[in-house]
Amino acid sequence: MKFKRQIFGFMDMLRFKKLVPNRREALANGANTPLPKEYRTNLLAKRLHPGYMEVELVGKRKLTEKMVELTFRRLDGDAFPFFRAGQYVSLQGKVGESLVSRPYSIASSPQEALENRLVLGVEEAGFFSEYLCRQAKEGDRFVMTEPSGEFHYETLRDKKHIACIAGGSGITPFLSMAKSMVEGDEDYQMTLFYGTRTQDNIAFKPELDALAEKGVQVIYVLSDEEREGYEHGFVTAALMEKYLDIREVTFFLCGPQAMYAFIAKELAPYDLPVKAIRKDATFCGDRTVSGEPRTFQLTVRIRGDVYTIPARENETLVTALERAALNVPNKCRAGGCGYCHSKWISGEYTVAEGRDGRREADRKFGYIHPCVTYPQGDMEIEVPAAY
Amino acid sequence: MENKGKKTYDVVVIGAGNGGLTAAIRVLQGGYSCLLLEKHNLPGGFATSFKRGRFEFEASLHELNDFGSPEEPGDIRTLFRSLGVEEKIDWVRIPEAYHMITTDKEYDCEMPFGIEAFISKMEEYVPGSRPSMTAFFELCNEVRDAQTYSNSVNGNTDSAYMKEHFPNFIRAGSYSVNQVLESLKMPKRAQDILGAYWCYLGVDLDRMSFLHYGSMVIRYITRDAWMPKMRSHEISLAMDQRIRELGGDIWYQTEAEKILTDDNGKITGVQISGGEVISTHHVIANCSPHLVFGRMLEEKAVTEKMVRATNARTFAGRGFTLFLGLNKSAEELGIKSHNYFIYDTADSVKQYHLMEKMETNHVQATVCLNNAWPECSPKGTCMMYFTTMFMSDDWGNVTETEYFKAKDRIADDMIRVFERETGCKIRDAIEEISVASPTTYARYCGHPQGVIYGYETADWDSLMPRMMMMKEDAELMPGLRFAGGYAMRSSGYSSSYVSGDLSGRQTVGDLKKEVG
Repeated sequence: MKFKRQIFGFMDMLRFKKLVPNRREALANGANTPLPKEYRTNLLAKRLHPGYMEVELVGKRKLTEKMVELTFRRLDGDAFPFFRAGQYVSLQGKVGESLVSRPYSIASSPQEALENRLVLGVEEAGFFSEYLCRQAKEGDRFVMTEPSGEFHYETLRDKKHIACIAGGSGITPFLSMAKSMVEGDEDYQMTLFYGTRTQDNIAFKPELDALAEKGVQVIYVLSDEEREGYEHGFVTAALMEKYLDIREVTFFLCGPQAMYAFIAKELAPYDLPVKAIRKDATFCGDRTVSGEPRTFQLTVRIRGDVYTIPARENETLVTALERAALNVPNKCRAGGCGYCHSKWISGEYTVAEGRDGRREADRKFGYIHPCVTYPQGDMEIEVPAAY
Repeated sequence: MENKGKKTYDVVVIGAGNGGLTAAIRVLQGGYSCLLLEKHNLPGGFATSFKRGRFEFEASLHELNDFGSPEEPGDIRTLFRSLGVEEKIDWVRIPEAYHMITTDKEYDCEMPFGIEAFISKMEEYVPGSRPSMTAFFELCNEVRDAQTYSNSVNGNTDSAYMKEHFPNFIRAGSYSVNQVLESLKMPKRAQDILGAYWCYLGVDLDRMSFLHYGSMVIRYITRDAWMPKMRSHEISLAMDQRIRELGGDIWYQTEAEKILTDDNGKITGVQISGGEVISTHHVIANCSPHLVFGRMLEEKAVTEKMVRATNARTFAGRGFTLFLGLNKSAEELGIKSHNYFIYDTADSVKQYHLMEKMETNHVQATVCLNNAWPECSPKGTCMMYFTTMFMSDDWGNVTETEYFKAKDRIADDMIRVFERETGCKIRDAIEEISVASPTTYARYCGHPQGVIYGYETADWDSLMPRMMMMKEDAELMPGLRFAGGYAMRSSGYSSSYVSGDLSGRQTVGDLKKEVG
């Protein structure tokens, strides 16, 4: 073939010769105005996803015997980012020699975040929560991650009517979801079943009663107490049937593992699709081992520096890192978010049952999520620095 | 702390995207020390995956073009072989080229791989198109041969040799796709169907150089496209492993904030988040010149020439992707193709302008991964991803409180258009959903405005002059080279790997000269 566009092929050739001079000239004639430092989309990304935030505890209030409400304000920005109701933050603080982080669901609404107010409801249940409940005081400073997690309503996926089931301190994300609905940021109809042992164990009751006035259906279910105006027993399918059509809702569950197992059993006869039931992640704590837990040697590489620290057999690798005050990234503490993604170098380990949230290729190439990984012997890993 | 690691490197690579990973391997293979810095906690940039429920989604890869079979490798498989990563990855072949639909009801065509099959299928759709299609592929073959020659002499082509062996390449070389197809007297409908890949390059066919498009199409059609089984994350981790094998270091969650220089403008180091300084004289930047010259490079070293050359360029498309995990199989849902292009019109110029605004953009390049790799999700489910681009900064108008709703609105439109055009009802099967907006791309990869395609390869800034000016462009800042979507080879997976290869090897050349 012979390609030509102009009558004489050499004219096409001449045009080709000009490609470079043309580009050279265009580059030289670009504006001599300063290059932008910021871009709108990138500024929005930074607003919504600031990464780590410096925060101050500005309010502390007892909710129940075992629960406190903690209110924070952000110090390194005008306000907290807008988020999806149902999400959590990871709160980091120094307790003794340890640098500890834990995830907590946000109880305040996305609108409150814009007023630089973020509320957590913390139940005294472990090392850090005990510190927060008993010792933390107004004026104390912490580091907090941006709001994260997929436990929130999805308009294009979920039914218009949602059934939320809270067990104990699992009420916190639902308080945010209810407020967000009332404030017009979420577009669903919400029925909340809140199970506690007794009336005294109900947290945020005045707030929930006020939200009930504004259209949220709230049902308190007391397991250890019979009381007028309250349901008695557990959140069974039969109880739920009184309030909604089980096949026409999307379930959101937040509470202890035992509650998840109970609800799964109650809903089993309905043969609901996987998508109908969303569960919030639960913290991966210590494991039980037979006999006295052994202590192994964990070699940790961070940005070219090497540390050797002890790691207990019954504790996750992140716990060992926290005890050694090594500042490494972690968020969900349930194996799923992948924020602690780290390179395994050597040594035996076990991943907590049912919590291996790694990608396929992570397993192939030796990457681990230390937040759900227990050492089985001396180990070496490479971990990113948190900040 | 017991050991202090070394904090001086021959080369620091900024960004572990496709270009940065490849460049780092090349530097290490050249025998020099290399530190790769990545602000995110994963390698790959766009080449990654993420999990939602029982699905592991592919973040961006539709298919790797110019890959070819082990026996007849394309350029990219050959590159992977030479990098030492080909065999670390399990590959799967992509079944068909593309399924193009235009919502104005003009087109609904499925195109196969293989030149003869492609031409025959075109003849079925557009009788009489065979001669011009045959001429098109002949021309494309010459384009590819000319590029192979040019690469073999590192861009220092001999013009007499070029004129003698590749005269058609030169004569067609300054024209746009539409100008060349017109000259080939290709029937309009065949031009439209052949043009379907345009959205992969992100420039309408009036402004896209024929050489660029022709070289991509021939690579797609003659050397089948492949894909890693474990999503593109498998490629990225294979490269991560290779870098470690070669003695390189990778620091994740570590942002390069400043490129430091002495008073003569010579690079002395890179300052990372937290303030620490890594000493080096060579930087390969897997990010945009806008960021490097606008923010990272010390101001005293930024020249007027750098500023003008950067301002002269135009950002290409800003990305938007919807990911769906469906609780029915592709077969049950009636989804037959792997790769759909759904346009409002086959007129790429009109379409490009419609894509400038969120409200008028209904384009989607959609993949059902199970139709290439059935085991990518659990039995009885399938996975889809729908991608579009905005050809202006319209997304920048979205405010914080509108953000989630804006994502939903566009995702909803994508589902609506797909259902309407294919007849496949997918909405009720959505078990998992995730949306990446330009904000998401800005967040993870740092690209200005959430651009996913680098600079537009349009008009004067098309691929050919970029390649011919590779050496000249690098003289803008000695010691600094670019890799990835903003570099000389433009955007896309294959191009980014190639630019990493080039910049990595050229940096090795720079280092060797220093010793001499």
